Amino acid sequence: MTVDTDASHSAHTGIPHTDASHTGTSHAKVPLPPRPRPSANRIAAGSTLVIILIAAIWSVVALEINVASMVRSLDNAGNFVSRIFPLDFPPLGELLVMTGQTLAIVVVATVLAVVLSLPVALFAAANTTSGPVMRGVSRTIIVMCRAVPDLIFAIVLFRLFGLGALPGILALGLHSIGMVGKLYADAIEELDGGPAEAVRSAGGSRLQWITSTVIPQVMPQLIATALHRFDINLRTSVLLGYVGVGGIGLELANALRTMQYQRGMALALVILALCIALEMLSGAIRASLLGRVPANRRGVLGFIDRVAAGWITAPRGGRELQRGKDGRVRIAPQWDRERIGRFAGVALTIAIVALATVYADLDFSTLAEDLLALPQVLGTFLPPSPQDLIDTLLEAMLVTVQIGLAATLLGLVLALPIGVFAARNVASSGFVANLFRTIIVIIRGLPELILAIVFIVITGLGPIAGTLALAIGSVGLLGKLVADSLEETDVRVQDAVRATGATPIQVFFAATLRQAAPQFIAHVLYQLDVNIRSATLLGIVGAGGIGFYLLNASRVQEFDVVTFIIVMVLVTVLAVEAVAVWTRKALR
Amino acid sequence: MTAATSNRNIPELGAIRFENVTKTFGSVTALDDVSVSFAANKINVLLGLSGSGKSTMLRHINGLHKPSKGGVWTLGTPVHSAGAATLRGLRNDVGMIFQQFHLVESMSVLENVCTGKLGSLRGPRFGLWSYPRAVREAAMEQLARVGLADKAFQRAGTLSGGQQQRVAIARALIQRPTVLLADEPVASLDPLSSAGVIELLTRISREENLTVICSLHQVPIALEFADRIVGLNAGRVVLDRPAAGMTHDDVDGIYAPIPVDERTELAG
Ligand SMILES: Nc1ncnc2c1ncn2[C@@H]1O[C@H](COP(=O)(O)OP(=O)(O)O)[C@@H](O)[C@H]1O
Ligand SMILES: [Mg+2]
Repeated sequence: MTVDTDASHSAHTGIPHTDASHTGTSHAKVPLPPRPRPSANRIAAGSTLVIILIAAIWSVVALEINVASMVRSLDNAGNFVSRIFPLDFPPLGELLVMTGQTLAIVVVATVLAVVLSLPVALFAAANTTSGPVMRGVSRTIIVMCRAVPDLIFAIVLFRLFGLGALPGILALGLHSIGMVGKLYADAIEELDGGPAEAVRSAGGSRLQWITSTVIPQVMPQLIATALHRFDINLRTSVLLGYVGVGGIGLELANALRTMQYQRGMALALVILALCIALEMLSGAIRASLLGRVPANRRGVLGFIDRVAAGWITAPRGGRELQRGKDGRVRIAPQWDRERIGRFAGVALTIAIVALATVYADLDFSTLAEDLLALPQVLGTFLPPSPQDLIDTLLEAMLVTVQIGLAATLLGLVLALPIGVFAARNVASSGFVANLFRTIIVIIRGLPELILAIVFIVITGLGPIAGTLALAIGSVGLLGKLVADSLEETDVRVQDAVRATGATPIQVFFAATLRQAAPQFIAHVLYQLDVNIRSATLLGIVGAGGIGFYLLNASRVQEFDVVTFIIVMVLVTVLAVEAVAVWTRKALR
Repeated sequence: MTAATSNRNIPELGAIRFENVTKTFGSVTALDDVSVSFAANKINVLLGLSGSGKSTMLRHINGLHKPSKGGVWTLGTPVHSAGAATLRGLRNDVGMIFQQFHLVESMSVLENVCTGKLGSLRGPRFGLWSYPRAVREAAMEQLARVGLADKAFQRAGTLSGGQQQRVAIARALIQRPTVLLADEPVASLDPLSSAGVIELLTRISREENLTVICSLHQVPIALEFADRIVGLNAGRVVLDRPAAGMTHDDVDGIYAPIPVDERTELAG
């Protein structure tokens, strides 16, 4: 601290000193130094941002998201209430069966994702890879798995394997590699290489130092990421009910397709409760695992802490070296609470995974046959062709992009005030900050699918429903990011501006927002990227855009059209991501 | 010819031998035509400013670096031309400890010590119980030797710096090495822990008749600990003589900036 202020102090006295003496003696006007020219890259990035903003505003207009259509849908909102009440819950037994099916699929899919992602990540991380070729291959796998939506994996895999749990599990598992593999690789790359070098210099092989030093070091992050992905997969699995993935999502899709809104909304409510409950559980485990919790908690949280404790707390020391009667050294750790808790946790996890695997009822009997048919099946997808739908498809793709742009803009407009009030260093009181933080958490917990369904029932099928659902969904993430980036900004700069007599609003714009801007823009671009991907998916429930045509083409078995749409989606998604990544870098 | 290179044909002095070793990293010359050999069963200390090439030299001995020019022989193995399998075998006989300890902090102390034995085990290991019982017992014995048997099941990261370095020493000892490399083993420790670690290293080196190559930057410790002192400056050996009877002033020359033409004189 002292060193810090000292350094900045001397740095300050160095330069202004000459300035002051200059003006002091002659009162001559100090000529403004020429403004440094921004680099070509920054100009290009700035223009890109402006273009994106204009495109977003145009999208809002083109999708007719305006006051008039809002008023119109207010009428519908009244109908909506009458259409969904009384809610029609299925019998408890049935409900448990479908929930069990969903959970089984999601658990197995997430385990599959972890099992596949770990080796990919080890080859993708600079410090553990075997060479540049394998590294490139692994990075490509990660990017491709992320770029291909689960939905598309599901369509192709259902065609290959037929109905059953396997295609859904594979679809979720493969797409998850895109995120899980990336996060694992990042975690591995951040490691301190010292322990690995110590094992290497003791003669250990690559595989040995990886399993003995790398994996133990990243273990908490591995588990935390898996739990995070479990939450996401749960939501997606519901959406995939529309293409035949079993469980509660399938029942929801059937209910909505046959206009049974009372049943549909009841199921949506169950899904919502399930998502929130499991997210709270996984959130608690993650926090405990990463050591971000107070000590000595009781009850369920205390149990979770003890399960996670193997990586967090220090077991009590043992005893002096002891020898048995045969003169051999005794190796016996104490069974303290942490150790019992950790073993209980591991046993519980194994039991859950085993149960899920059994319950998912995977049928491998035709696997060999199915795989042999792979070339023939893939043949039906090739060559890609739009048939005579080229104009329609291009227009639908454009609508999808518009939905993403409009949703991000609207989400941002909503998130700014909410995020600002949720930031502790900006909000006027702790109570206000906590209130808005809570609102953000609740919004984040809402699955976009549920929002989309509610809006479809209110506004009818079409892009408005999709845009509004994604806009609200964006508020969750953007609001949190706005609040976090404001809280991370340097408070001392604000104090300095405040000390000059500036009003709180001036402080906010001059100091707080100015500092947070680069991060801020990065987050918004990320959200745009995410929203365009989600817009593709939401299309299948009828929320507008290309997804609808994708689902249709696969229903009527026009697989060349499916491939054409896949390619279109891939190109769009990768292009948007490339622009977003490049702009973020250029502005840093 | 300098004293160091003329010794190279006497076998008992040649546990480790550098012959005209030059090592460059891009445009940086870390070692500059180094020829020196280290006798078996002796404690050798490398002295030199930060960046003078001490770590680079140590890392050539077990093949973590290969020379750009010249040759390195360790226990009769030509490290400069050794393949992966040969190197693994050699490293099994050469223990190494580091300034930053390099323990896996989230792992138990005992498991950290077991990882020292990986060089002579086949296949990957994960978790304490994946090591053979004999290895776990040996690890316990080494921990007892460095005075930490009662910490065996504690997370390594919860120990003090001095304790962590002792664990690292136990991890090296479980290899039953004949050569021990130590790269500034006490540079991150407070004076009291430093003294303890150096005392432990001296005792164990004598007991096991180890050949020790240790870099240090505290001259008083070096004078007390070493049988022989080798001084490095800008990648060149500028001093090489028995420690007995040496004074502070004798060592000072190592740290001075040296004009190019005087280097050979000092090295002799
Ligand atoms: N892996 C490396 N890559 C590039 N330069 C290195 C590397 N290792 C060492 N160097 C350079 O070699 C020189 C000697 O370094 P080092 O052996 O670490 O010195 P010491 O251990 O005496 O402080 C330094 O200039 C250092 O920057
Ligand atoms: Mg060094």
